[in-house]
Amino acid sequence: MSETENGDAETTLDLSWMRQTGPWHTRAAPGKHGLTLADVAIGEYGEAPAQSDNQTGRPRGAAARAGSYRIGGYAVRSKSEIWLDNASFLYEEALQRQWSSATDVPWHTIEPLPDDIEQAECQLATFLTEVEFVAGDVPARWVSLTTPDFLEPRQVLLAQVMDESRHMDVFRKRALAGGGGLMQATGATSGFVGGIDLSRDFTEMSSRLHVSGEGAVLTLFRMGELMAQNEAEKVIYRLCAQDEARHVAFGVMHLRYMAETAPERREEIHCYLDEAEGGLIGAANPVGQLTPTSESMAIILGGGKANFDEGMNKIIAIRRRQLREYKKRVISSGFGERFENGRSGVDRMIAQAA
Amino acid sequence: MAAKRATARAAAKTPVPKSKPPKRKQAATPPAASATTPAPKYEPKYNWMNKSKQWGVRVRPGRAGLKLGDLNVGVYGEVPMHWADESRNPRGAVPRRGMPPVGYAVRDKAGLWAESAADLYEEAIARRWIPATDVPWRTIEPLPDDVEHAVCQVCTELVGYANVDIEAITGWQHRMAYGYHEVKQFLATASFDAGRHFEGFRKRALVNGGGLGLEGPGRVNRMILESRGGWTEAVVYLLLLRGVFTMTLYKHLLRHAHNDAERFLYGHALADKARHVTYGVEHLQFAIAHVDDQRRIIATLFAFGDGGLSHDLRDPALREALAIIFGGGVAGARKRGMARYGDFLRDFVTTYLALCRYLDVPRDPARLPAPLKDYAPTPTAA
Repeated sequence: MSETENGDAETTLDLSWMRQTGPWHTRAAPGKHGLTLADVAIGEYGEAPAQSDNQTGRPRGAAARAGSYRIGGYAVRSKSEIWLDNASFLYEEALQRQWSSATDVPWHTIEPLPDDIEQAECQLATFLTEVEFVAGDVPARWVSLTTPDFLEPRQVLLAQVMDESRHMDVFRKRALAGGGGLMQATGATSGFVGGIDLSRDFTEMSSRLHVSGEGAVLTLFRMGELMAQNEAEKVIYRLCAQDEARHVAFGVMHLRYMAETAPERREEIHCYLDEAEGGLIGAANPVGQLTPTSESMAIILGGGKANFDEGMNKIIAIRRRQLREYKKRVISSGFGERFENGRSGVDRMIAQAA
Repeated sequence: MAAKRATARAAAKTPVPKSKPPKRKQAATPPAASATTPAPKYEPKYNWMNKSKQWGVRVRPGRAGLKLGDLNVGVYGEVPMHWADESRNPRGAVPRRGMPPVGYAVRDKAGLWAESAADLYEEAIARRWIPATDVPWRTIEPLPDDVEHAVCQVCTELVGYANVDIEAITGWQHRMAYGYHEVKQFLATASFDAGRHFEGFRKRALVNGGGLGLEGPGRVNRMILESRGGWTEAVVYLLLLRGVFTMTLYKHLLRHAHNDAERFLYGHALADKARHVTYGVEHLQFAIAHVDDQRRIIATLFAFGDGGLSHDLRDPALREALAIIFGGGVAGARKRGMARYGDFLRDFVTTYLALCRYLDVPRDPARLPAPLKDYAPTPTAA
């Protein structure tokens, strides 16, 4: 019971706030998949503005308060800059498919490997830890710059930050669980102009991070059955591939929305894709060049240093698959003309990869 | 869990492009190795081999699996007070020379560290929940208009708080150096938690015949987001002042929940928030112990923060909405509800001052601004 419950004081209430609301009589109904983000996107609550003037961090659909502080110097205020049509679905899926690197990976299945293979595994794990750092940092920065009016894509990006954090830790765990250790950092993700983290525009970042960068890593993770030496690694690659597929889907669907709603930016997007394609054969791609990472992958795929050439053949085949999958994604996102008008070098790269 | 995954897949309303996640049991098909052209001969350098600061590490999973903190063995567990490397070199890896700096703002351990960050990270993952399917939404029954109005107003405020959590944490997370990855990883869970709160309370406001209410006054929001003095300053406002306030709010709302859905929401948000506050308290302890004058700086920040919170508390919307919930309606709010609102504020101020004392930054209750001062415990009660 309240300390003052038996007191006689009666407070006069103002209650003027009751007359200041968003649209009332809203009754979102849970469906057989629960109450999803899409289920509450009803009426005005579901309408993301083409241009957001929300400077106070107001929840979309809430009543504005005239005296509220302006806190939001949001860089992303145009819907076309960040929107995609299936963000709610991707977010809900991300929640359903969260996993724990501590308990969902059968770590006890890791047995000692020959030294050359363990070294290769650890070099690859070191590289992937680095890569996942970028993929977590960059979306986080863009979340902080995005108006809450675009809550659906922002929620997906929050889930991505969580996913990448888990990837970062699972590859660190792998490096330290098999009798090896971390090896040499590659530096492939640090501070280069044209790199993912130096993008000045969300779509520029997304084309590099989601479509090109994570697309390339996704192809790799889907080859996990080939690369894995044990059940733990198979599970790691399989679960990481699930997550990466969502991130890639975000990028593709966003580019598609951008292509449809902001045709004046098509040429600019093609410029980003030009740069992204350069990255597909660059040092940041573990199967892109003869780097420490690709050498380590060749050892893993070949089954040891003695079978390096066999491993390299598989790497080249993976590179071709990466390029083909990238091409499909770009076509799906509505920028396929670059493969017909000679602008893209991807077909040439595929041929050269043979 | 498998059923939940299937549910999510079936929920697709817009087709996902080619990058749709593979089914879990899908096996990788080996790509056809160069069938037409023989591969050129590559000469490996192997100049990366045998480059490790510490080899032969074999961390074993324990009863709770293989946790992040378990990895802190040998050089991998050495967390320096200053992280000079501005690349993305993982802690314990051999650095690559000549890499352009990424430009991290927070490179001192005293600016972010809390010893429990790795454990809190794993706990956050273990205790994850899903607003769409874990909250028993169907238990929500129609409420009297005044009570529904009040619940929706409180949810609007809570969505606003979660929004600031999201913006503040993600705004700092990417500026933290990788030598302290445990903290970055914990903050990834904290911003994800905040995203879930943002979503969960929005859903509650829109599910029962009401809607969102009036946005909050926002002075504390601005203080949190304008913390230019560093992450430690943000922690004072976000995780101590606002964090303890929100945690206390969840606790009292839990006592007055109208149905199992609200009980679930408030209870789980409370558990999440408790993790955030735990990190905040530990970090401030660490900062005070390692930075000259930090104790007095934090005392000054608390004083500013109290002023901001007092300003926001003078607004009637949250106060009266809570009184209506605590009193069971407008009629009950005028007396019983406002008294219970007073209990809530008293609980908050008591907890807040106790944490200040725990941090060795004691506050004089008599110098708190109104209305906080009115609810401060008497010296004997304290």
